[in-house]
Amino acid sequence: MKTGKYDAVIVGGGISGLMAAIDLTRKGRRVAVVSKGDPICCLSTGCIDILKGVDSPRDGICDLPENHPYHLVGAGGLDRAAGLFVSVMKEAGLSYVGNVGQNRWILSPGGTRKQTALVPESMAHGNVEENETLVVIIFKGMKDFFPGYVTAKFQNADVYEFDPGNGSTLGIATKFDDPAFQEDFFKWFKSQKISKGKIALPAVLGTKPQVFGELAQKLDRKIFEIPTLPPSIPGLRMFKALKTCLQDAGADLYWGRSVESVEKDGDAIEAVTLAGIGRSTRIEARAFILATGSFVSGGLYARQDGVVKESVFDLPAYVPENRESWFGHNFFETGHGIEKAGIRVNGSFQPESTGIPNLFVCGSILAFSETMKYGCGHGMAIATGVTAAEKCEDHLA
Amino acid sequence: MIKTDVIIIGGGATGCGIARDLALRGIAHHLIEKGDFAAGATGACHGLLHSGGRYAVSDPEAAEECIRENMILRKIGEKCVEQTGGLFVRLAGDSRRYRDKFLESCDRVGIDTELLSGARALDLVPKLNPSLEEAVRVPDCSIDPFRLCMLNAITSKNRGGVFHRHHEVFEFIKEKGRLAGVRARDRFTGEIKDLRARVIINASGAWGKKIANLAGHDLPMNLSKGSLVITNHRLTNMVINRLRPPSNGDIIVPNEAVCLAGTTSISVDSPDNLVVGADEVDIVTREAGRMIPEFNSTRLIRAYTGVRPLLLAEKDATDDRSVSRGFRIINHQDGMYSILGGKLSTYRLMAEKMVDTVLKEVFDKTVACQTGDLPLEGQEFLSGYPLSTRLKDMKDIICECELVTRKDVESVIDRIGTKSIGDIQHRTRLGMGPCQGGFCTYRALGIIQEKGKITCDESMGALREFLQKRFRGIRPALWGDQLREEQLVEGIYLNIMNMEQQ
Repeated sequence: MKTGKYDAVIVGGGISGLMAAIDLTRKGRRVAVVSKGDPICCLSTGCIDILKGVDSPRDGICDLPENHPYHLVGAGGLDRAAGLFVSVMKEAGLSYVGNVGQNRWILSPGGTRKQTALVPESMAHGNVEENETLVVIIFKGMKDFFPGYVTAKFQNADVYEFDPGNGSTLGIATKFDDPAFQEDFFKWFKSQKISKGKIALPAVLGTKPQVFGELAQKLDRKIFEIPTLPPSIPGLRMFKALKTCLQDAGADLYWGRSVESVEKDGDAIEAVTLAGIGRSTRIEARAFILATGSFVSGGLYARQDGVVKESVFDLPAYVPENRESWFGHNFFETGHGIEKAGIRVNGSFQPESTGIPNLFVCGSILAFSETMKYGCGHGMAIATGVTAAEKCEDHLA
Repeated sequence: MIKTDVIIIGGGATGCGIARDLALRGIAHHLIEKGDFAAGATGACHGLLHSGGRYAVSDPEAAEECIRENMILRKIGEKCVEQTGGLFVRLAGDSRRYRDKFLESCDRVGIDTELLSGARALDLVPKLNPSLEEAVRVPDCSIDPFRLCMLNAITSKNRGGVFHRHHEVFEFIKEKGRLAGVRARDRFTGEIKDLRARVIINASGAWGKKIANLAGHDLPMNLSKGSLVITNHRLTNMVINRLRPPSNGDIIVPNEAVCLAGTTSISVDSPDNLVVGADEVDIVTREAGRMIPEFNSTRLIRAYTGVRPLLLAEKDATDDRSVSRGFRIINHQDGMYSILGGKLSTYRLMAEKMVDTVLKEVFDKTVACQTGDLPLEGQEFLSGYPLSTRLKDMKDIICECELVTRKDVESVIDRIGTKSIGDIQHRTRLGMGPCQGGFCTYRALGIIQEKGKITCDESMGALREFLQKRFRGIRPALWGDQLREEQLVEGIYLNIMNMEQQ
């Protein structure tokens, strides 16, 4: 059996876990991250939604229900977390724009406008008014983007089609990583005599962070990406940037591994053993952070008998009683009862009524987050990830 | 004003079967259906082509009809019938005496049976409960009700039959105390059509009473809701029945890439706006899990419910299961006939008897029925079951779950000029697989848009309607992996696309 010893082990490789890990490594801690696979933020828009339906997410979090985890973070914590995220992204060459004090709008692939707080540079111009002239560039055969949904809302919209020789989102984005392909696209662009106005494209301008900037400079026009249905390239770019940053900082990543068993010393968690092909790995740490996400990423599992299980440490999880109450009858109504399910924590992000002194919990697995209702998924992930790491650091110190 | 010989109300198996029969006997007709084909009990059943085994003990006459029709349908409808064979499994605790009665009854009505040991049954269906006592093999089949209706419609259309889908009958045209025709409204455009005919056939199944009431009549029928669940893959290649008297949750039917399991039986007042209860899902999964234990850990992709239009026996029966599932033809003596009761497996026979009756009583003619001898027309358009033929030159796949290509979708749009996602689903199986249209519906509507059939606003409207309908089906089965899938789909439409409540 292989072994490892760390100050902190983070279980869960999504935004929340990665941000927690980055925060701790920057404070000089020896850190490992365990993840079953690539996280669901790869399927997201890559934008940081902090809180929707308000002008200022920073002010808006005060008005959330009393038990919402944002209250444990506070406005100051939100500022610190967002600041860290933006600086980490900038170092990785993926600049983000925006402000926790002011929501902004981007254009969705359904032609609707979507509220968010921090956006990658490639969506900075995504706030278009319906009376503006919009130019949409589409890619022949691309099955997850239909310009009709988008242009219908605009009085003046033109559509131009480029043939990339590939119909999948990831396939086209990978082609854009190649300078020769970029050059072909550029030549085509010049030959089209494209009309005036902001240029929108589905988000396929390279899997690497620098491609967008290079193209935008060459084209010399206001240009922006529209996020697509999964797989989503901006989400993938963000994830890769976070992961690379952590690797560069010297953290150990146990990717494609899941926790098989947990060892305890009294109430405290002493080590976890990771399943592996051939041999397993035992990793010991002074503190653990649980960031495995909610149902979609498998941190929680809802059973037919109405019980919700936490999948790594078998922590007690809150869920509204009775399966009937988990979902309303309207698909478009958010705030289904099940969104409240998760792990209840105290002010130090430690799971309530378990008595475990060295375990911290962050991200969408936290009870009462209701990320769909409040449009706060990535914002919560970053804010609670960094704050839980701060509490963990207090514990380690 | 449209004039014809026969107006058929209802585009389920019975109505479409009547249209085909009339066409083959040279009688002009129009069919009116308020939804798409198979929108009622036909499309919401378990897709079983009965061997008759289920009824052999309780209703030998129905069983005999089933086995006869079974043999006919597998011959005339090769591409919509999958000859799976079926097993009646006897589990520990199930009566041996019932088994004997079952074998004897099957024998009497001509259903081939073979008694198999538990081990032999496990060879055939490895996922069966390993502690089963024994099983009886019967000639059950799986049948695709959508295709069945469409193929019947094709024969009719080839001979001048006209179908008004998405049209609702809202008034009868009365003349000299007789029903001379109907008025129907196009549910998309609101346009009103007047149709006149020598005779009107009410074949609207569970809605039969509503239609009869509209004409001032009543019908002796009961409605019984039956709920089913769909698994995300195919757990058995044979139909699995429980060898015991009919009760809840006693059947599992393989259908293309998935399995259906049912059913429940709950008396209801109206066939509209039915909801599947969590308790019904629990009953069906528990009982199916007894026959195939893996059922308990399999992801359910949807639950749905259909309404059985059951004939009320002479004396008012209280238990719905003991009401005859035979059928009856009622002459209202004013130019309208109602056909009620029956089951999918015997739709052709019902149509034959119905057409015999009107030919004799209204048209005073006798023309031999040919529906049992001629194959269903239009089967060349269907892929048939072997996936290999479909995979051969497949590119531009729009629906990954059911392997539907852009070309398939475009050809349906071109052929029937549809604006409805449901029309495409029923014809291609788009969106009927494990993700239940979560990914492909946006694409399919985008293609309808590209073809200029609908505007963006209409397609967003259609998308909303589809997502709501889909959610209705999924909601009763939301736990475990299906709950994960549902939240992912919510993420796509409510977060990425920001489609909010209007």
